Amino acid sequence: MTAMTKLKGLASAAGLAAVLMTGGATMASADEVTLTMAVPDWPPTRIMKKMFDEQYKPASGNTVKLEVDFIPWPDFYTRVNASLTSGEQKYNMAVSDSQWLGAFIEGGYYRKINDLIDADPELKAAMDGMHPAIRNAYSTYPYTSDNFYGFPQFPDVLINYVRKDIVCNEEEQKNFQAKYKQKLPCTNEELDDMDWDTFEKVGQFFMRKKGEMLAGKPADDDFYGIAYQAGKGYDFSTSQIHTMIWQTGGNIWDETQVPKGHAEGVVNSELSVKGFDHFLRLLQYMPPVAKTGTMDIFKTDELFREGKVAMNIEWIGLGEASLDPKTSKVSDKLAFGLMPGLRGADGKLVRWSQIGGQPFVLMTWNTDLQNKEAVGFVKWWLSPAIQNQYAAGGGQSAIKTVYSDPKYATYRPWNRVWAPSLDWQKDMWHVPQFFELLTQQQDQYDLAITGKQDAKTTLDNIAKFQENLLTEAGLIQK
Amino acid sequence: MSPVDEQQPQFGTLAPDNWKLAIVVGLAVSALAILSLPVKDSFWVTGAMVAMVAAAFVVNAYRRHYYGGLLVSPAIAVLFVMNIFPLLWSLGLSFFAYQSNQQNIRFIGLHNYEQLLTNDLKAPELWGNLTNTAMFVVLTVTAQMIVGFLLAVLFAKQFPLRRYLLILVLTPMMLSVVAVGVFFSYYYDPTFGLLSQAIKAWAGGEQFILMSNKAGAVAGIVFADAWMWSPFVMLLVLAGLVSVPKYLYEAAAIDRVSSWRRFWSITFPYIRGLLMLALLFRTIEAFKLADLVILLTKGANDTMTISYHVIRIANEQNKTSEGAALSYLLLFVVIVLTNLYLYIANRRARGN
Repeated sequence: MTAMTKLKGLASAAGLAAVLMTGGATMASADEVTLTMAVPDWPPTRIMKKMFDEQYKPASGNTVKLEVDFIPWPDFYTRVNASLTSGEQKYNMAVSDSQWLGAFIEGGYYRKINDLIDADPELKAAMDGMHPAIRNAYSTYPYTSDNFYGFPQFPDVLINYVRKDIVCNEEEQKNFQAKYKQKLPCTNEELDDMDWDTFEKVGQFFMRKKGEMLAGKPADDDFYGIAYQAGKGYDFSTSQIHTMIWQTGGNIWDETQVPKGHAEGVVNSELSVKGFDHFLRLLQYMPPVAKTGTMDIFKTDELFREGKVAMNIEWIGLGEASLDPKTSKVSDKLAFGLMPGLRGADGKLVRWSQIGGQPFVLMTWNTDLQNKEAVGFVKWWLSPAIQNQYAAGGGQSAIKTVYSDPKYATYRPWNRVWAPSLDWQKDMWHVPQFFELLTQQQDQYDLAITGKQDAKTTLDNIAKFQENLLTEAGLIQK
Repeated sequence: MSPVDEQQPQFGTLAPDNWKLAIVVGLAVSALAILSLPVKDSFWVTGAMVAMVAAAFVVNAYRRHYYGGLLVSPAIAVLFVMNIFPLLWSLGLSFFAYQSNQQNIRFIGLHNYEQLLTNDLKAPELWGNLTNTAMFVVLTVTAQMIVGFLLAVLFAKQFPLRRYLLILVLTPMMLSVVAVGVFFSYYYDPTFGLLSQAIKAWAGGEQFILMSNKAGAVAGIVFADAWMWSPFVMLLVLAGLVSVPKYLYEAAAIDRVSSWRRFWSITFPYIRGLLMLALLFRTIEAFKLADLVILLTKGANDTMTISYHVIRIANEQNKTSEGAALSYLLLFVVIVLTNLYLYIANRRARGN
């Protein structure tokens, strides 16, 4: 081989490399824009995709395609995390749990959207039309600051799923009245006004062995009063435990107090311990799987749909399956109420609750054109007509004018309790250390749930770990 | 072939088989690219240089008739790209402070290792997970060896429906771990599970909650793992049993040797190698146990294993370099154990 042929070979190799390198960039032409989005695979995102395909007409006149990667929930975080951190820049948008914001913003993946909001009065109006609790939880980093990142995709709250056929049974009503000298909640108003004490009594009252009478019939299997999440995976006990701690007057490490706020003395304060103890006390009236650390939100949902419990505290997002006779043995026996609260000295209920649901975000590597079309899509998505249609199909809306319309409550049986829940929603943390905070506390909570360790020790351990981690990260300064 | 082909080209000549020049040029260009170009571009330039050097090696081997080397080179290339390079890369990472979801990286020497071994929060956790792993290794491997061996002895004999039963017995091994995990989590479930229902029907009283304490949770995981992997041991042992020449047994029968002696003197020497192999495979696999734990307990009831711990640190929490350091500690333990085992096995073999 001569030097000449070698040079020719090199030239063709360089040409090939150039084609390979520029190939990705030439895809987006001026009038066809593709937005690629990572979403969890469940009805709220399927509906969104369907509505987009059937109805969305971009105002810009461009052709906009929404390519959606439906990823099963259990893999969702792993897949999104892997895609973002690998640097493949595959997605232009993604649904994200609100707590992931900090981790992926600091990594340089999620795009700050303040400039887009400021440049577009319509988008600004939509952001301002949201319930502030949801906007803070889904869009801000640091939490409750004015830096915005996300738009609500499917907002979610914890509510009470109730077996109407059982709590409204006359015999049970009579016996409950005789035993506790108070009425067993049955109507919507009574259910909404329920406190944790009554919830506990419901739990105790409906513990039935197989063959014992239950609502006028012998129970065909063991029956349990109540259920809520107490599992070790992801955040499947944290959400409920934070709720109990906040309602009792305790607190978790408060991100809005950086850098002065501490973990020690707050996380393990007397009131926090009291709240956690309250959470633990109710476990005895739940199906025995609660003692194994595997009673996550899917297990409680399954137990409820299989007709094993009278009341279940659950996310709205899992509700559709309980209404469907194909997946639910109790589809025609349902009532829904606000999640119970803690009754204060003035008789009013304190209802602080951990918010659920997900925003979606834009990525930093999107082109200007992609961002423009994404904003167009977001405005369409948050417009009242579309939000109403979404809610009618089983979604929830964060937009005030939408959910305060009387017809909103008619879409789904639980929509009645949506608006009153919102004022009480708080989020945990948006800091990048979220996953370490979460896994350590889930491990510790699990030790208490499975009876290895008391509430005080558990919260002491969590406080110590958090104080150490957050001090190292500079988020706690002495 | 002309003798010209066998001459090495001068270092300075531009020839496709001048691999020495290619290495020098490659290194120089890569260094320049890394210093002057953005990371994205220098990555490709360096890649191209590596390809050029490799090509020079190949042409050189071809001209000098090193066909043996040429034939194994694809395998070595794949091994290097898929195995050795990531291994070295992660070893390098373990000396840095690096999180995959953050842009900055900083050299910190042995700090990650030091933290893992001495930090008062991390070290006990690591130790706890290691002892748990050791416990799982001992329990699952023992269970699999015993059950697998007994099954093999059973299936070495001829009996009706043997072929079909053999297929059935081998099925668990071929199932996906996820399917097995989900199946067993239902099997153990106190409300819906078969186990709890059966015990309740037999003994009465409360629902039986297998996974409510450590002993139960460990038993549950070990049983599922043994159910899945005993057939693997059986398969290996069965291969050994079938390979024993019939005439040895016939001779033993003529000599009226006891069945115990027959086993130790004839059967065992034939299957010993395979038993050792099964033991080695299963020990290494059991050391990496994470999937069943994730599916059955999520590490609840103190069943956290070291692999699951690595997954959490490296994947879920994105602490890449700490995860790498932990993996290397783990690799070190596995290498030491494997060598110890091979040493003992070899000495035994020599002794006999």
